[in-house]
Parts: sequence; structure tokens; C-alpha cells
Amino acid sequence: MKILVIVSQTQDTEAKIQVSAGGDSVDTADMKWIMNPYDEFAVEEAIQTKEKHGGEVVIVSIGPARVVDTIRQALAMGADSAVHINGDGFAETDPFAIGKLIASEIKKLGDFDVIFTGMKIIDEESGQVGVQVAEELGIPHVSLVSKVVEINADAKKAVCQKEIDGGHVVVEAPLPCLITCPDAMNEPRYASLPGIMKAKKKPLTEVGIDDISFDGLGFSKEAVSKEGARVKTTGIEVPQIERKLKIIKGSDEPMVKGEEVANAAEELIKLLREDAKVI
Amino acid sequence: MSNDVWVVADLKIDGTIRKVTFEALTEAKKKLVGGLGGQLCAVVLGSGVSGFEAELGKYGAEKVYVIDSDLLKDFNTEGYVNALGELIKQNEPAVVLAGNTVFGQDYFPRAAARVGSGVAMDAISIGLSGDNKLQIERYSHSSKAIQTQVFHGGATMMATVRPNSFKAEESPTTPEVISGSVELNPADISVKVLELETKASDRPELTEAERVVAGGRGLASEENFKYIYELADTLGAAAGATRAAVDAGYCPYDMQVGQTGKAVSPNLYIGIAISGSVQHFAGMGSSKVIVAINKDPEAPIFQKCDYGIVGDLFDVLPPFTEKVKQLVSE
Ligand SMILES: Cc1cc2nc3c(=O)[nH]c(=O)nc-3n(C[C@H](O)[C@H](O)[C@H](O)COP(=O)(O)OP(=O)(O)OC[C@H]3O[C@@H](n4cnc5c(N)ncnc54)[C@H](O)[C@@H]3O)c2cc1C
Ligand SMILES: Cc1cc2nc3c(=O)[nH]c(=O)nc-3n(C[C@H](O)[C@H](O)[C@H](O)COP(=O)(O)OP(=O)(O)OC[C@H]3O[C@@H](n4cnc5c(N)ncnc54)[C@H](O)[C@@H]3O)c2cc1C
Repeated sequence: MKILVIVSQTQDTEAKIQVSAGGDSVDTADMKWIMNPYDEFAVEEAIQTKEKHGGEVVIVSIGPARVVDTIRQALAMGADSAVHINGDGFAETDPFAIGKLIASEIKKLGDFDVIFTGMKIIDEESGQVGVQVAEELGIPHVSLVSKVVEINADAKKAVCQKEIDGGHVVVEAPLPCLITCPDAMNEPRYASLPGIMKAKKKPLTEVGIDDISFDGLGFSKEAVSKEGARVKTTGIEVPQIERKLKIIKGSDEPMVKGEEVANAAEELIKLLREDAKVI
Repeated sequence: MSNDVWVVADLKIDGTIRKVTFEALTEAKKKLVGGLGGQLCAVVLGSGVSGFEAELGKYGAEKVYVIDSDLLKDFNTEGYVNALGELIKQNEPAVVLAGNTVFGQDYFPRAAARVGSGVAMDAISIGLSGDNKLQIERYSHSSKAIQTQVFHGGATMMATVRPNSFKAEESPTTPEVISGSVELNPADISVKVLELETKASDRPELTEAERVVAGGRGLASEENFKYIYELADTLGAAAGATRAAVDAGYCPYDMQVGQTGKAVSPNLYIGIAISGSVQHFAGMGSSKVIVAINKDPEAPIFQKCDYGIVGDLFDVLPPFTEKVKQLVSE
């Protein structure tokens, strides 16, 4: 089987974030760059699929030179090769252009069976790139798959479970298809030391912006920038919500004594009624 | 290109229209329709979906496009994308909005890709920029930041809106109904539903609720989640959970609140035995009032809540729920 994974590098949003001087993006100067957490689940699912069915896992990623660290991490986890669409100009474009560029490189890779990618990227959080790629390639997508029940390369189908409001649904999609991955669908493995050593020698193809044919993409090389985006981010703010931090504590932590607990419950209700006025 | 503003009706599994549809109609009428100078229209896609026009007209829809087809059954993504894509190509509305629900997140960006439109996801405000382009605000960066996004170019501008962000207000009209202008082809549907299992719940939906009571890993069992349900039902609240609780099998996945799960923004959020991770806060950090009950005084949630009790839930919750019950019955 040929299994593709679209992997992105992202800013570690566990960190504190600050608005840049321009006021329309987040300051990335001291930012740690990590593999998009949802893409870790996608890489893991791809490797497990390979382990079951044989074949190869190809990573596709787009972004500036630093993205190579993330690609190597995916290779160290067990992917076989990678394509890196390398350019700084991509950083501030929109998902529409990103999806088209990724799809156009995927078309050059020949036949494949399945594509995995994260449900969204944790910085922009819009969850569009995956479905955009699927549309561009003319293949079906199944989003937010909680469990891949079965992939059958011979029968050319994938059976996936999705969680929906009030229950779940099991669908069967023909291959090739694209699957987007939430967290908790598997346990992403850590790269082992030998894995990391091997990753350094695995094939990584660099594609520069000048290698891309913009014919048929519907936008020009110049449009791959913030100016060319259909949806432009013009401002960003980090709202500061002041919380009241009124914490009721007992004489012991945690409080255990019957009367103290009853009083605390009473006090909390009073706060919610009189201070917050929500009940 | 017309100047019309469309809202795609978000249907629940029981076939009723989700509130976010009326919220979007109301807000679109207030903020977009006047400035653009077109009509406010609703789009209903589904199987057996006739007769919604009265309800949609109540919230200002002047026109209702209906595509009623078996192929749109069970929230069929390809059917929705084909139907909405074709309708947009036929009519070229200026703006199309939909709810940022589980299904909205699935079909809507693909429909945008189909018609070559940019799309903004999960808007918490909508309006027009100086040159009459759609301008929205949305959360990003694990909900720590709010971005302003503005459309440009000539294509239809498409966005999903977050439930509970706007107030639904009635402004009755009698809409014109336009049915069946798109023929769907069974050959275009390649993904088949093998199994669909849903249970109706009496509790309010998480994303629509004014109050949310959520439980974390500290609940320690499915059985103990009864404490969460009891308090939720007493308060008329929705019941939520952390991923840790869902993963452990204490409650169903659709209760998960957070970066992966649902985004909620109630007046009152009570988090019980929840540590307060960045990913959980990404889904509830904008709640108006946050209450925490946790036995660990060092739990991060105590750094970002309004009220809290440092105590064991099994000690604190029963008397608390009891007192809330008394209050409610008074
Ligand atoms: C200052 C700044 C720096 C940025 N730097 C980068 C950067 O270095 N690289 C970058 O890609 N984007 C970067 N971006 C974001 C970029 O502009 C797009 O917004 C982003 O790639 C797609 O956003 P999205 O919300 O649609 O992604 P989503 O649709 O939410 O992402 C869904 C999935 O699509 C895949 N995906 C998304 N983007 C990419 C990608 N670029 N490559 C491979 N897979 C992807 C991932 O698997 C992800 O899980 C930067 C933005 C800013 C403001
Ligand atoms: C990509 C990604 C996406 C994620 N998405 C989500 C998401 O959507 N939603 C989400 O919630 N998480 C998400 N997570 C997981 C998140 O990082 C945390 O692991 C999770 O939120 C922790 O849940 P918790 O607070 O219930 O558990 P814990 O962190 O284990 O906290 C349990 C708390 O209960 C307290 N406690 C224990 N027993 C008692 C008792 N008897 N009485 C009172 N207090 C008690 C403890 O002191 C502790 O603070 C995501 C993670 C990743 C990597």
C-alpha cells in the first residue's frame, strides 16, 4: 500500500502567546515549533496501517526550512520518505492555497491508497487543509475518524468509525480516500534512537517554489502570500479575561470535615447567587 | 454575483432545526443584509425536509431553497457538498453561512473548495468591512487569541458561525420557497453509511446550553458520573467531560469539551475533578463564570477560575447539589 501523511509544523500553543509588532500575527521569535499534535496521530495511524498491510509511508509537508525537523521526526517514527515543499512565502497564505499546493505535489507522486492528516492545526485551527486536498484530488474524505475499523487494499475500501452527536456512525469509503484524525484514535509512538539515526538517511525530496507549476492552480506564484489570500487575517489580539479567583479552602487540604464541607457548599452557592448572579 | 446572504439550516439527528440556524439568520439580517442590499435566504438540505419555511421565515428568511433527496439522508457529506456547491454556482450568493457543528465542520469547507471560495471557520462575530466584504472574528491558538479575518476577491464569501454566539430574535416574513433546483446523482455518492447509532438525550446540547457541568478523570468511574448528571439536571445544564474522562470510558465522546471536542461558552461552567489543561480550556475558557471543585490546591484550574472549592468531590458535591435542589424548588 502507498500511504501518504500530510504533516505540518506548528507553534506550541501550550506556551504563552504574544501579538507581533504588526498586530496581525503571533510573535514567533521565541516560539517552540513542534509537529502539529493531531498530525502525530495521523503518522501513527499510517505506520500501523503499513505494519498491517505492508507498503510505504510518504510524508508531505509545506513550510520554511525549519519544517525539516518535523519531517525527520515523522521519518524517525517510521515513515519511509518525504516531500518538503520549501518556501517562506507559504507561511502567511491561506488554507485554500496551502491545500492546492499540497494536492499538486501529491499528484506527482503517482497512485496511492490512503491519505491521513490531522483534523486541524492547533495554531490557525480552521481544519480546512485536509478536505481542500481531498476536493482538489477528487477523492472522498472521512473527517474526525475515531477508529479505522478496517482498510482493505484488495477490496479497495476503508471502514471508519466517527463519533457524532448522540452516538456514532460507521462508514465505508472507497480507496483512495483521505482520513482526518482527532486525538485519542491511537497512541503515537516516540521515535527510538535507532529510528532517529535511520531517519537521517531516508529520502527527502525538496520542492522549491520555482519547481511548482502554477498552471491550473488558479492563482499565481505571487499570490502565494498574505496578499493573495482569499481570507486575510488583519488583526489578532490576546484577550485577558480577569478571573475572580475566589477559592474556598478548609483547614485541611482537601477539606474533609462534614460541617466545613457543608459550609463551603453554602458559601459557594451564596457567591453564585449574590456575587456572580448566575443561579 | 447577487447580494444575497444565505444561511444553511443545521439539522439535528431528529430532523429539527438547530438553534444556531436562527442565530445566524438574526445576526446576518442585522449585520450583513442591509449593507449588501440583497435578500436573506435559508437553505434546507436533507431527506424529508419539507415544511420548514414557516419556522425559517419567523427569523427573517425571505427565500428558502429546499433540496429534498434520499441521497442527503444521514448527513451525507458528498450529497451536501454536491447540493450546496451546485446551488451556489446557480445563484452566486454574496455570503453563505452555516453552523460550526460537527457536521458543519465536515461538509462546509469542502463545499467552499468546490466553488473556489475562501472560508472562515467558527466565527464569533460577523460584519462588513469598509468595502462591503465579510469580516469575522474567531478564536485561534488554542483559543488564546482572537483573530480578525477579512475576505477579498470576487468569490462567494463563506463562513461557519459558532453556536451560542448570537441571539436569535424573531422578525417574521413569509418566505418564497424554491424547491428541487438541483438533481443529485447516486453515482456521485461513494461513501456509504454501514451503521448509525444515536440516542436522544433530554439534556440541552452542550454548545447551546446556558450552563454546563463537566467532570474529569477524578470522577474515577462511569458510575460516579451520576453526580455530574444529577447536578446538571438540577441546574438545567448540559453535561460535559474532559478527554481523560472520555478516554477512560466514563462517559460518551460527544460530551468532550475542548480543543478536539466541543467549544462552549455558557454563563456558568462548573468543572469537577478537572485539572484545567490548555486543551480543555480551549473549549470552555471563554465561559462567563468558571467554577472549580478539585481536591488538589495546586491544580492549574484554580489559577483561571472565578470560584472554587478545594475539596474531594465525593465530600463536596452531594451537599452542594442538595442545596442547589432546595434553591431550585423554592
Ligand atoms: C507567522 C506565521 C507563520 C506560519 N508558519 C507556517 C509554517 O511554517 N508552515 C505552515 O504550514 N503554516 C504556517 N502558518 C499557517 C498557514 O498560513 C496556514 O494558515 C496553515 O498552514 C493552514 O491553516 P489551517 O487552519 O487551514 O490548517 P488546518 O486546516 O486546520 O490543518 C489541518 C491539517 O492540514 C494539514 N496542514 C495544514 N497546514 C499544513 C502545511 N503547511 N503543511 C502540511 N500540512 C498542513 C495538517 O496535517 C493539519 O493537521 C503560519 C502562519 C503565520 C501567521
Ligand atoms: C492534541 C490534543 C487534543 C486534546 N483535546 C482535548 C479536549 O478536547 N478536551 C480535553 O478535555 N482534553 C483534551 N486533551 C487532553 C488534555 O491535555 C488533558 O490530558 C485532559 O484535559 C485532562 O483531563 P482531566 O483534567 O480530567 O484529567 P487530569 O489532568 O488527570 O486531572 C484530574 C483532576 O482531578 C482531580 N481529582 C482527582 N480525584 C478527585 C476527587 N476525588 N475530588 C476532586 N478532585 C479530584 C485531580 O486533582 C486532578 O486535578 C487533548 C490533548 C491533546 C494532546
